[in-house]
Amino acid sequence: MQTRRSFLKLGAGAAAAGALVPFATHASPSDIKWDEEHEIIIVGSGFAGLAAAVEAGKLGAKDVVVFEKLGVYGGNSTLNAGQACFANTDLQKKLGIEDSAELMVQDQLKSGRGYASEVLLRHSAELGPYIYQLTKDCGCIYRDHIINTGGTSATRSHQVVERSGSGFIRPMLKTARSYGVKTKIRHKFEGLITAKDGSVLGIKVRRGYHFGHEDSGELINVRALRGVLIATGGFGANVSFRQALDPNLGPEVGCTNARGATGDGLIAMLAEGAMPVHLSFIQSGPWASPDEGGFGYGAGFSLYNFPHSIAIDRSTGQRFMNETADRKTRADLEVQRRDKDGKPNPALLIAPKHEAQKDPSLENVLRYKVAWEFDSVEAIAKHFEVPLKPLKKQIEDWNTYVKAGEDPQFGKRMNMSTGIYLTPPFIVQRLWPKVHYCQGGIQINTKAEVIAAKTGKKIPGLYAAGEVSGGIHGVSRLGGCSTPECMAFGVTAARSMMKA
Amino acid sequence: MNKINLLLLLALTSCLTLSAHARDKRDYHDMVYDSGCKTCHDQGAKRFPSDQACLQCHDMSELAEQTKREGHDAKQNPHDSMHYGQEAPCMECHGEHTPKQAICMDCHNFDYPKFKH
Ligand SMILES: Cc1cc2nc3c(=O)[nH]c(=O)nc-3n(C[C@H](O)[C@H](O)[C@H](O)COP(=O)(O)OP(=O)(O)OC[C@H]3O[C@@H](n4cnc5c(N)ncnc54)[C@H](O)[C@@H]3O)c2cc1C
Repeated sequence: MQTRRSFLKLGAGAAAAGALVPFATHASPSDIKWDEEHEIIIVGSGFAGLAAAVEAGKLGAKDVVVFEKLGVYGGNSTLNAGQACFANTDLQKKLGIEDSAELMVQDQLKSGRGYASEVLLRHSAELGPYIYQLTKDCGCIYRDHIINTGGTSATRSHQVVERSGSGFIRPMLKTARSYGVKTKIRHKFEGLITAKDGSVLGIKVRRGYHFGHEDSGELINVRALRGVLIATGGFGANVSFRQALDPNLGPEVGCTNARGATGDGLIAMLAEGAMPVHLSFIQSGPWASPDEGGFGYGAGFSLYNFPHSIAIDRSTGQRFMNETADRKTRADLEVQRRDKDGKPNPALLIAPKHEAQKDPSLENVLRYKVAWEFDSVEAIAKHFEVPLKPLKKQIEDWNTYVKAGEDPQFGKRMNMSTGIYLTPPFIVQRLWPKVHYCQGGIQINTKAEVIAAKTGKKIPGLYAAGEVSGGIHGVSRLGGCSTPECMAFGVTAARSMMKA
Repeated sequence: MNKINLLLLLALTSCLTLSAHARDKRDYHDMVYDSGCKTCHDQGAKRFPSDQACLQCHDMSELAEQTKREGHDAKQNPHDSMHYGQEAPCMECHGEHTPKQAICMDCHNFDYPKFKH
């Protein structure tokens, strides 16, 4: 009897709360029954959300809450490869790499193909060394090796030793909590609560939410005293949404994102009149393998090996791209590799084992059957049904390019492959792009304030940072350049809210 | 109102009796079933159990110890993983009445031979 009665009571409570909060609520604060109140509300526990939480803590915020809809923290950020491009760090100096924020901005503008935001890129590049230090202060540990991520004119991708974004997320989560930040899983943001003038007062949250069960838990109203930061990430995992924006990105193309990357924050902000930017610019990762889910281990393997390896079309036995071109260039070319019936015929990345074994990912890709070892060109040709003669010739030609330090075929930057000849035994991984990153999102300014479509001015009380914001990278984002940007704007949002 | 109450009551009772027989369950949880749905469904029968429910009997650090891996696989301990440490709630990977798979499998071809779907 006890259970039934309390169940009925709870059920009635949930229904009443629901009735008070229809989808887009425009009200005055006194009309609303607030269930909770916080100084700063952060939605999403990835890089953007946690960088904001840490910075707010540093700045003396007393009551910060991070709401995460999933049962685990970190979103895409914890699945991330742990690479972050910073220009002008002490590690670069130690390794004799000359770089600058300006050079980083120029590289990104180029890859953005005229659509990137120079001011936002500059803002984030200039905060780079600060972010690098902030993460170290949280306890993140970087490798001594800096990685070349493609499309850059200086080697600048710093990587944490875990070689995963979890190497950032877990220390940052711990640091945020040490400042008293409250972190809550299974709390799904359902929408903004705004005043009649459009300014944001708080949010609706589904407390006790279980992913995939949209009615689970109960709705509560949470009031923000200084502001709401939406840091809910991208929408790569929302197939109908992404395919509506780019018809090429149906289910045939996989996805590297976490389950929660369904665009909730973006859709709610659009509903409140935020400015959409570049929603159709959705990036696929050219280093992904069709032989495992998500990002997996293959991506790390190919990222390490692209500079000194070749990618082969199975039907011709020849190269078809500059293996270190920017992502869009490579993904577009890879997805064109088809058999005579038009079915996907993933390209082959052929790496020399003597070099591949220097990276820890080799063991993983072999063990989990994402790549295979072959003793000869003949063995590769036989296994993957590649025409032998052209393949042999291609490998011989490639080795002459390595020797000459110049790639007449595709103009690849060859300084990373000096002395690294493609000789047996070989390691071969299949390549097929996966939806990876949403360049588009809602528009923000250099204060991480969200811009209204109607007025071009900020929506008071509303901030956004990370992948949910759009227009920063333009057509194509360079590898390793999301992490620093998500964190830079998370930090910026915290600074803005602490001034509000 | 009375009618609705009665309906709910009927629905709940049938759920209570059904669960002991027809529902998918794990044999080693038999004794939990004997003490009723409420034992795990601490938030009401129609709601998911809280994330603390399983921890009434299971201890996360003990589980982490039990599933500890060595050397190369050390970071693949599902109860103490590189991505989520010991924080992943049980229900992210395990279902009592519904088959599930470990969230690691979203991205990795790991082999967990003892995992029960
Ligand atoms: C596998 C992978 C590897 C990558 N590797 C790199 C790399 O090495 N370097 C690099 O620079 N970039 C990389 N990227 C890109 C980069 O990691 C992401 O762009 C970045 O992590 C986004 O951070 P974020 O904080 O904006 O969002 P996320 O980290 O995705 O966090 C958003 C969080 O919000 C939660 N959320 C969503 N909706 C709601 C809601 N309604 N209520 C409450 N919470 C909600 C999500 O569950 C999620 O936890 C990678 C991306 C992926 C997927």
